[in-house]
Parts: sequence; structure tokens; C-alpha cells
Amino acid sequence: MSEYTPFEMIAYTGSRVLEDNKIVFVGTGLPIIASMHAQLTHAPGLGMIFESGPLSPVLEMGMPLSVGDTRACRKAVYLKGLCAVFELTQRGHADYAFIGGAQIDMYGNVNSTFEGGTYTEAQTRFPGSGGAGAMAANCEKSIIIMALEKRRFSKKLEFVTSIGYGDGAPDYREKAGVMGSGPYRVITNEALFGFDEGTRRMTLLEVAPGRTAEQIQEKVSFELLISPDLKTMAEPTKEDLKLLREKCDPDGYFLARKVK
Amino acid sequence: MIKRKEGSSIKKITSLDEALVKKYAEEPFEFWGPTPEEARKIMVNKPKGMVDKRMTLKEAVQKYIHGREGLSIGIGGFVNTRPPVATIHEIIRQGAKDLTLCFQSSSICPELLAGAMLLYPEQITIKRVELAWWGYEVIGIAPLLRHLNAKGMIRLDDYTNYGMSARFKAAAMGLEFIPVRDHGGADMELVNRGVMVESPFTGKNSYLVPACYPDVGLLSVTAADIYGNCRIFGALCTCPEIAMASANTIVTAEQIIPSENIRTYPNLTEIPFTAVDALVEQRFASYPGAQYGFYWFDMEHILMFRSASDEFRKTGNADKLKKYYEDFVFGCETHDDFLAKLPYKTLKKIRDMDGGQPIILS
Repeated sequence: MSEYTPFEMIAYTGSRVLEDNKIVFVGTGLPIIASMHAQLTHAPGLGMIFESGPLSPVLEMGMPLSVGDTRACRKAVYLKGLCAVFELTQRGHADYAFIGGAQIDMYGNVNSTFEGGTYTEAQTRFPGSGGAGAMAANCEKSIIIMALEKRRFSKKLEFVTSIGYGDGAPDYREKAGVMGSGPYRVITNEALFGFDEGTRRMTLLEVAPGRTAEQIQEKVSFELLISPDLKTMAEPTKEDLKLLREKCDPDGYFLARKVK
Repeated sequence: MIKRKEGSSIKKITSLDEALVKKYAEEPFEFWGPTPEEARKIMVNKPKGMVDKRMTLKEAVQKYIHGREGLSIGIGGFVNTRPPVATIHEIIRQGAKDLTLCFQSSSICPELLAGAMLLYPEQITIKRVELAWWGYEVIGIAPLLRHLNAKGMIRLDDYTNYGMSARFKAAAMGLEFIPVRDHGGADMELVNRGVMVESPFTGKNSYLVPACYPDVGLLSVTAADIYGNCRIFGALCTCPEIAMASANTIVTAEQIIPSENIRTYPNLTEIPFTAVDALVEQRFASYPGAQYGFYWFDMEHILMFRSASDEFRKTGNADKLKKYYEDFVFGCETHDDFLAKLPYKTLKKIRDMDGGQPIILS
């Protein structure tokens, strides 16, 4: 088996989660790479939406460095602005929201607003919701990428930026006035999570080769549900890695984190 | 009065300080820019003839911004796409106090104003920001936003990208507010100025966000005729909505095109002349941001400004940041002077990096 980095495992797993002939509303970085990989392999009919305005572009100029990158518009079939694409999500055109964040709780609520201090005087203010809060509300299913660390898999978020299942109550999302059905998968390099239908709690579905459910639980602050059918995560093949490294992110902006 | 609802169940999961939530909930609503009635009156009183709107950026900022305290400024573009950088430089040169900034996602424009506020407070101050996102995407988070927020120096009013876009759209429609399907069930519901109400039709929860009418909208567009009929290629972002929402607008166009071309393809006009007050023909107006069909963004220049900003945030050492403003903002009379300080190879490179995105000027 080939050597791969944590980011490559996340991108590959993200690709696996996406189905063919669906529309994915992508955030910057790994979501774009995962979607490009899916298009090149098992999901040629997957379409992407970028929040600045394009629907189903052909990313022939290379990976857009951000969702606002002009390259994301290349050969789109429909190109308007933010209102148009977010209204598509409200109307049910977008199957997946693919976002990241700083913290997640057991019900898939996500914080990407601040960490430490208070809202008005934060130790670390992040950029803010951007599209994430709207995507998590109104794309049909949310896929969330998160580093597997105790402080990120948090018992209680400092700020709820993107709605998940709230407190787990069956009517939480309906009372919030949102349209999407909610969190679907949480992707890390060591584990893949889903959500239990009855309790809406985060459930461990797959672990990376060599890892155990106990090891994953140790990196999570809240109690995980464990799928009775716990699986081992598939690893990227040589061909997958070649695609990721040569076609999706050849400059290593996200897979190798060159900029930071 | 609107029938406020108890809202979603966000209060069951929030970690926000109760006193803060109460304070924001009890704060009487007021528009931070003109009211719908004021914005309409300004529009009604404008001469509507097709006149040549061209002027210099200096004249435009002099006319619509200089000396007016407490203005609300709508910033067009989206992160590194078509930010109105040339106009922001001119505003910093001329000065503006107690600004309210409003945008969906922005990068170098609010950072430039924030840096000016920190280094030259007699020149620029920002009072509050209505936003969805302020950062540099792949390059990192915004150090000066982080600094201003950590010190409690600005009021933030957080929405999603759709929330801010819908707020501009509501203003473009002449409305007071618009229902949206997001913010509910998230903490933005408790800190921003939207409200959860009961739908008068079904009784269901419906989140309303107030319209956002800026005093002055700043847009950077692909092309326009001399009357201000604008074409935008690539993502429209929220530029048409911001232009229609604003009481006045300053528009930079990369290229002026014959009005005959506009009339040949009127469907391509994204902003009509009635929504444009000042028009400036300016090449590389969004530099170091991108203008689809003309140039890509210049990551190296943005990195230089960001690292000077981050050094200031981390160490308090403002030398590099000051030098940036001295060289590239105060050391220039015009945006062309700024461009003249850049190596030709830089401009050529970003021109090439655009990859010849297709635009229609004919």
C-alpha cells in the first residue's frame, strides 16, 4: 500500500462519500479536491456549485484556490451570483454541503466563528460563517471535514455557526426554519462518522486501518455511538494518489499545506 | 409590530453570554445606513438623464465620501474576485470616520481599512461591520480583523453569505426585510439583527433579515459605457444587488465600451445607468484581487500585506505595515501611481494567470 498524508486520506474519503449524478456545494480546499477526484473516478456526473455564482464548471484550469477564484467559473453551465446559488439550495437543487470548521459537537453543529474569549472580544476570531451556515441549513445533506482532536470534537461549542441537529430534538431543524435534512458524514483522516437516525448522534462508521474504536473515542470529548457494522476505511490506491497529486492539487496548496 | 416568536431552540444549546444576548435582543432596530424611504428619496431626486458619469477616483471619493462622517459603505466583489481596491485606497487617502462596512465575504478591502484605522486613526475609523466572512481563504485568517475583535474595537453583525446577499437584494427590491431559510437554530440568530417570526400564512417559524441599504456602494466591474451601464463577467457575486441597494455608487470599470454595444446586447447589462453615480475607468482596479478576463489575483502581494499585518498583530511592530501604506497608499496620488510601483512582470504574470477568460466587450 502506498504512503499517503492525512489530507490525502481526507480528500479520498470525501470523494468516496460523494455519489454520482448529484450536486455538491463546495467550500474551499479539501472539499474541492475531493469533488474533483470523485468526478475523475466514480462520479463523472457529479456537479459542483461555488458560492460566488457558478454551477457545474469544468475545472480545466486547475483547482480553484478558493471558492471565489475566477477559475471556478470556467465552462460553467449557469453563472450568476451568490443569491442565485443559495436560492438553488433553498429550492432543493444541492444534494450536499461540503464544509469545514473549527469545532463540531455530537449533533453535527459546527463552529467557524471564534475560539476563546467572548463573541465580542474573542481570542481568535475566525472569518465567520461565509457560506457554511447557509449551506448546512439548506443543502440536503451536510458533509463536514474536521481534524480529529479532542478540542475540536467538543461537548459544547463556543458558537454555533452552522446548524446540525441542534440539541438532537426531532423538530430542531424544522423550528429553525431550515430546509435541508442535516449532517450526513464527518470526515477525518482516522475515522468516518455518520449520524444515528433515531437519536441524531454522531456515530463511528469506519476507522483507519490499524485504529480501534477506543482510540477514536479517546480523541473525542463526547460519547460516540459505534456502528454495529464498524468498517475499516478504504485507503487511496496508487492511481488515486496520482490523481490527487497530479490532477487535483498539483501545487500542494491543501494536500501539502504549502502556504501556511 | 411584527409577531416575534420564541424562535428556534438555539437557546438550549448556545454558549453565548446571556446578558449579551439579552442586550442585543432588546436593542431597538435602526438601519445603519439610510432607511428604505431615505434611499428611495435620494434615488427619486437624482437626475435620470443619460449623462457622462466619468470622473477621476479622487473626484468620486471627494463627492460621495469625503467629509461625511458615519457613512455605511457596501463593498462589492467576493473575497479575491473584483474587490474595489482602487477606491478603498482613495478613501484611505482622503479619510473617513465612523464607517459602517457591509459585505458578504471580503479580504483585502476591509483589512486595508482596518490597518489604516490602527495606524492612522485620525484618518480612518470603522465603527461596525455587517458581514458574513472576512479573511484570506487559502492564505489564512485576517490578522487585523482578529486584532480589532480581540480588543473589542468594532461591533460585528454576523450573517451567512446568503444572509448578507439577501439583505442587499431586499434593499435592491425596495423592501424593509426579507425571509431567509438560514441563521435559525444557529447562534447568528442571537447576535445579528434578524428576527424569527411566525409566518402569517402557515404559522411556521420564518427568519427575517433587515434589508441593507449602504450610503455608498463600491463596485469594480468588467466594462461600462460612459453612462454607467455595466457588464460583469465571471461570477456576479452580489454586485448588481449592492449597486441597486446603495443610495450612491462609485463604480470602477476596467474598460469603457461604446454605448452602442450596450444597446446591441441589453441582456448583458447587470447594472443600469440609473444605479451608477460616479464612473471611473481604471485598469487593474481590483489589484491585488482578480478581474475575470483581465487578470488573476496576486498571491505574493497579498501575502506581503498579510504578513506585515500579522507581524503587527503578534508583536506590535508596525514598521512593515506602515511602510506598506507609505509606499502603496499615501505614496501614490492615483491608482496608476500604485500600479507604476509594481514590476511589469507582476502585471504580466497575473494577466497570463487569468488564462484569457472569455468576456464580451462588443
